[in-house]
Order: sequence, then structure tokens, then C-alpha cells
Amino acid sequence: MPLPFIFSTGIEEGLSKQASFSGGSEIDHLSDYALYVRGISKTFSNGVVANNDVTFGIIKGEVHALLGENGAGKTTLMKILSGCLKPDRGEIYVNGVKTRISDPRKAVQLGIGMVHQHFTLIPTFTVAENIALVSSSSRKLELKAVEDKVRHVSKSLNFEINPNTRIEELPVGARQKVEILRLLCQDVSILILDEPTSVLTPLEVEDFFRIIRQLKNDGKSVIIITHKVKEALSISDRITIMRGGKTILTIPSSQTNASELASYVVEGFIPNLKRVPTARGEPTLSVKGLFIKGDRGEMAVKGLDLSVHSGEIVGLAGVTGNGQKELVEALTGLRKVEGGSISLKTCDLANKPPNFVINSGISYIPEDRMRRGVILGMTISENLALKRIDKEPYSKKMLIDKEALDKSAKELISIFGIKASDPCATAGSLSGGNIQKLIVARELTNAPNIVIAEQPTAGLDVKASEAVHQKLLDLKSKGAAILLISADLDEIMKLSDRVLIVFGGKIVGEFSSDSLDMEKLSKLMLGSE
Amino acid sequence: MQLKISKSTYRSILKSLISVALALVVTSVLFILTGANPVLAYYYMFVGAFGNFSLTVETLVRMTPILLVSLGLAVSFKCKVWNIGAEGQLYMGAMVGTIAAVSLGNTPVTLLISIALCILAGMAWAGIPALMKTHLGINEVITTFLMNYVAIYFVQWLIAFPFRSPDTLFPESAQLPAAAILPIMVPSTRLHLGVLIAIFLAIPLVYLLMMRSTFGYKLKAVGENPEAARYGGINIKRTMLMALVISGALAGLAGFFEVSGIQFRMRGSLSPGYGYTGIVVALLGQSNPIGVAISSIFIAAIYNGAFEVSRVLNQPQGIVDFIQGVLIIFVLSSESIMRFLEKKGVIKL
Repeated sequence: MPLPFIFSTGIEEGLSKQASFSGGSEIDHLSDYALYVRGISKTFSNGVVANNDVTFGIIKGEVHALLGENGAGKTTLMKILSGCLKPDRGEIYVNGVKTRISDPRKAVQLGIGMVHQHFTLIPTFTVAENIALVSSSSRKLELKAVEDKVRHVSKSLNFEINPNTRIEELPVGARQKVEILRLLCQDVSILILDEPTSVLTPLEVEDFFRIIRQLKNDGKSVIIITHKVKEALSISDRITIMRGGKTILTIPSSQTNASELASYVVEGFIPNLKRVPTARGEPTLSVKGLFIKGDRGEMAVKGLDLSVHSGEIVGLAGVTGNGQKELVEALTGLRKVEGGSISLKTCDLANKPPNFVINSGISYIPEDRMRRGVILGMTISENLALKRIDKEPYSKKMLIDKEALDKSAKELISIFGIKASDPCATAGSLSGGNIQKLIVARELTNAPNIVIAEQPTAGLDVKASEAVHQKLLDLKSKGAAILLISADLDEIMKLSDRVLIVFGGKIVGEFSSDSLDMEKLSKLMLGSE
Repeated sequence: MQLKISKSTYRSILKSLISVALALVVTSVLFILTGANPVLAYYYMFVGAFGNFSLTVETLVRMTPILLVSLGLAVSFKCKVWNIGAEGQLYMGAMVGTIAAVSLGNTPVTLLISIALCILAGMAWAGIPALMKTHLGINEVITTFLMNYVAIYFVQWLIAFPFRSPDTLFPESAQLPAAAILPIMVPSTRLHLGVLIAIFLAIPLVYLLMMRSTFGYKLKAVGENPEAARYGGINIKRTMLMALVISGALAGLAGFFEVSGIQFRMRGSLSPGYGYTGIVVALLGQSNPIGVAISSIFIAAIYNGAFEVSRVLNQPQGIVDFIQGVLIIFVLSSESIMRFLEKKGVIKL
């Protein structure tokens, strides 16, 4: 049965491309697709139409990027393919055979596996134990065999991993590789990766892309969900764009470019950051000779010095696991300081409780937003008041003023464009991107002295990212001191006045934004200079 | 005030109702096995609890200690601190209140001082495991539970030796002085002042504390996500400590009200397990003060109704414990049952 190459297009350009591909393409039989779906629709119980008559196909041995904004329905579609969600309507074909995917186990049997944005490994288990948990076919735990398989599969992908390391001891990049390994050990042939680079440093991204290419060479099909246009272009063979729950078009990467794709992803988006030139003021935050212990009792920060002036954004670049996490936690009162000093103007902040830090006007956008930044079981207005619940107007004489809470929540929801039906809905009902907007809204209002922004736009779409960047720039122009910790070097370079490079718990280099040497910076990040 | 029931509240209520219904169904099977007609049994249970004015009052009297204990436990459970030690806290409160009352004799302040001290005793007894949890990281489930035995046997020793009544043969304390007795509010019933305090003071106060105060907010935040609560500047150790101590205070008060409203002496058999019943009630009421209040009257009705069932239908008294046990199983699995029903389309919200 011949099938058109491009599906459900609503755009004229799309239609013209459809004509040009379907004629000459040799790929127009259902059996050429490793996976093909059509007419998929999914409406959630809260009324959100996540997928609306979606058609999508992946060819054997290709890397396919699914590109779209947050809330475009990418993750929902992939969760349907991996058996985590059931579609309301639609047909699924695996290798040309119509099938139903009832649950993730069934999906794996069909050779489809997914790595979720939030990893699902058990931190206290070793690599082998985590893999044995899902791949063991008999009732007996054959850890030895699993270990051998892990070694074998990881070797074929050219990376080293000790199967006996506990997950909690691994950096995020390695955990992601374990997630992929776990799928490969179950003989999965179609891998779905949800925003895989959002947690990786540029170097890790390179390594990750290498593995993706290796997988492709081994004949695996890979679907990468992403909202980054550049990334989609650089790794994939073909790109499918989703918008508003529909697939807009599918196009080979070689036949398009970044600006064309961006115009499909967000209709009519023009980057428009406003910068007000700001004079650098007095040092607001100064850190001297700081020593902090990591989770395993080792010294993670070893004599770190830095300062952030008012009216300045300082970017902290570095490979994950070089003491950034410990530094941020010490600055916000969440981790004990072993030695050295942290001061806000003249006030000492070392080893003060979080409440003291908050009252000193330090805002903190945490990287681990689900675990730290938000309380999913509480309402949106309660979450927005988290750090100020003891203060007026939120409460008087220990009694909460619910009206004040809802009123201020409604304001923040409209200012920050949080997609929420009602401030009294639980935060858990929001999408990941909107949860981040909620956190940013809470942290960037009330004129903070210092903002510590840890991966503030990870997983956010173009418009939302720009809104966060604009807000940070506005605060800077009002005299706030901003420390930006990001694995996204583009973000650091776009916003920072100064870039500091952290390696091995120390600052090993400093650049001003106008004299950035990328090669030197990369070497410093790796500690090879 | 406008009463608006949100979807999640409605779902919570439904969850508890399903648990109760299932527990009653399983109990029906027990009735059938022991040769009783379950419909008749539940009829007599209702009659025994609410059949006439004096039976209804008796149910309220029975409800009082259960209500006080479970309101306290609701506070503790809200921040996921599992106080299993209300029974011991109840005994310690009752004992200290009794000692205070007997020692003070008939003075105008006897009742007030005894009440204050019974509350303090409950707080102190809960404070020990609370400090062990916050400062040494010792699991409160184990410490609070084991301290029940310490409390009960310690109280039995106290009433058997140092504070034994000189005028009776049994190991029990001396009778409370008249000034320490809670006044009867309706003549020729046992409706004492404590019943009214529990209903008209304890419920609104706990409601205010949990649903309207910043402390209630912090309780919920710590219970839902301690890491985010700490990040938000909430002192989680202090919140957990306060929660456990407040539940101890209410358990202590429940204990002394039983002595000064019902028994008039401290006895080793003061509580038929109110401290444990309170756990069932707090879970069934899902740590919501109103839910807990309704659940208390329900469980109290089962307690008193069971007397009638055993009298008329010759059933064992143990059905009270049976129903509670089954109820706990269904309450704990109610979320899964609810999800199953939603998945099958039986319930649509």
C-alpha cells in the first residue's frame, strides 16, 4: 500500500514539499517503516487535547528528530508508542504489522523502548542490578550474566562503564548512557529519547551524538524528542515538526535549515532580547577560599573564590560534577560549609539556614525542579507563596490569607504566562515547562539582591526561554547580581558579562564576554590546561 | 461562607466511603459465617449506637477520646510523621493528670492545672521520640510504638504501688477530688464537659491550625516534599517535632478526660485501645479535621453498636477489632482501588 511521505500538512510550503518527495522516494511502503502510526488522538481527563489525528513514521536505521515546543504533544505521542499511555483512537504498525501496545513491557517485546526526561533508574542499585531488574527473563537473578552483557554492549558502543557502580555515584551523562544500555540489553531496536541533551554539557553532548551515530550504524532506529532546532539538524536524518498536537510536516534534515524550521515550530517567532546597558556596581556576593564536602564525604569544592557584582551576570561554566551543585547548595544554605567565607555585602552567609538566606534576598532557581523546586501535591498559589508564607500579605499573625494568595498567584500566572486553569489546581497538574515557569515566577519577583539560576531554561521552549532570559536581564539592569550556572554554553555566552570556568572544585579561568576563547574555554572545562 | 467542594475533595470523600463499604461487606461475610443475618446485625448496630437519646449521648461520650486522639494524629500524619504511640501518650497524660488532681485536692484551680499537666505529659512523652527522630534520625514508628508498652506498664506500676488507692483492693488510683471532675452537662447522662470541649473547641482549633495557619501549610509542605520544604526555608525538623508533640498533647488530654469524665480513678484498663483506634480514624479521615470528626463518630458508633449486636445476636465483642482491622486494610489500599475503578470506568470524575 503506497503511503504519502508527508503527513497531514496544513502549510502550503509543506504541501509543495510533499509533492516533491512522495514521487521520487523509494520509501513508500508500510513495511519500510520500523514503526508507523496514523490517526492517533489523545485527550487527557483534564480536557487537554495532546494529540489530534497524528500520523508519524520512522524508517529502519534512521535517526528521526521530533521537533516542537513544550506542550506540542511530542512526549504524549512517544509515551503512546512506548506503551505508557493509551491512545483514544489511531492505528499503530510495527514492521508493517498492525498491533496494539498495551503497556511498556509489550512495547519492549515489540522492540520499542523509551528513555524518559526524568530518569527511572534506582539510585541505590548498581548499573547491573538496574538492568537485571527489567531484562532478567528467569526468576533467578543472574547478575553475573547481566554484568557480562553490560560490558559487552557498552564496549560495542565504545564507552567504559563499571557494571558494579551504584547509579547515585554516576554523573547525569553516565546515567543517561545506562538508560540507553538498559534498553539495548533488552534487544530494543527503536529507541525513543525524550529531550536527551537537556541535562548534558557540550562535551557530553558530543559523546552522546557519537553513541547515537553508533546505534544508527548498528541498524537501530532512534527517535529524539527535542525543542532545539540546531540539535535536530545536526543529529537527525529526518525531522518531524509538531505543533498544537499535530504533526505539521516531515522533512529530510539535508533539505532544510534552522530559520525555516524555527518558523514551523513557533509561528512567527522573532528573537527580541532587550538589553539595557548597565554599569557594574559594588561586589554583592563574595566567596573566599570556600571548602565544601560532597555527598560521599569527599571535598567537592576546594578553595573556591568568586564574586558577583550588582548589575552583572556571571556565568559559571563547567562539566557537571565539578562542585557546582555543592557550591550552589552552600550559597543557599542547603549544605554545610567546611571552610572559607560567603558574604552578601557585609553580611556573613556561611552555614546559615535556608530561611536566613531567603530573607537576605537571595533567589534560587534549582536544577532539580521536581524534587526541590515545587511541591506537586499543593496548589499553584501555595507553591508561588512557598518562600514568603510567613510574610504579609500572604499571612497575618500566623493565619494564611487565602484571597491574597490567590490574587498574587493570578497576577504571576498572567505575567509569566503559566498555562493553568485555576490557581487552586495542584502544581502536579501542570506540564514540566509550566512548572519551571512557576518556579521562575516565584524566584524572580520581589526584587531579589542575588539570583542563583541553575539551568533556568532546561526543557523550556523558545518563547519561554526568551522570557526567562529577558527577566534575568531586567533584574540585572535594576542592580541585581546574577550567578548563572548552565550546561548550555550558548545560554551562558548570550547572557553573561563574565564567564568563570569551574573544574575540580576551583575556578580555573575567567573570560569577559567580549574576549571569549572557545578553544581555551573547552580545555579549561576539561582540566587539561 | 460559600461551600465549594473541589474535585479532589470529592474524590477523597468517595475513597473513604468505598473503604467503609468494602469493610462492611467483608464483615457481613463474618456475620454469615457465625450464623447471623448481616442486615439484622447492622440494624442492631445502628440501634445500639443511635436508638434513643441516651444511647446517642453514650456514642458521643465514646467518641470523645477517639476524636481527640485522632485529631492529634491527623496533625502528625499530615506531615508524614507516623505517631503510633498515642496509646502511651494517652496513658501518661491520664496518669499525670490524676496525680496532679489527687495531690492538689479540692481547690478552684485543680481541674485547670490537671488539664494543663496532662497535656504537658502527653507532649513530653511524644517529645522523646520526636527529638530522637529529628536529632538522631531514629524512625518514629518504632520508638513511639515501643514507648506505648513502657508507658502502660509504668502506669500500672504507679497505680499498683506508689499511687495505689488506700481504700480499694484493686490496683487503681485514689478517686479524683470533686473539683477535678468534669461537670455533667445533661443531667442523668454521662455527657461531661470534655465531650463539648472536644466537639466545639478541639475540632475548630485543629481545623484552624491545619487548614488556615502557616503551620498547617508547613505541615503539608513537609509531608508532601521535605526537600522542597527545606529549600523554601521551612524548618522541617521543627515542623516534625511540633507535629508529634501536638498529637501527644491531644492524646494526653483524651486520657485525662476519660479519668475525670468517666472513670474518676486511674485504672490499668483505662483505654480499650483508643490510641490505636485513633490511627484508623485519622487514616479514614485522610488527616482532614472534618473527615476525622465524621470518622470518629462512625467508629464510636461501631464500638457501642457492637454491644447491642453481641447482646441480641450473640455475636462476639471482637467484631469491633475485626471491623477496624479490615477498615485499615481498605483505607490503605483505597487509592489503588479508586484507580482501578476509574480505569474500569466505574467511577467518572
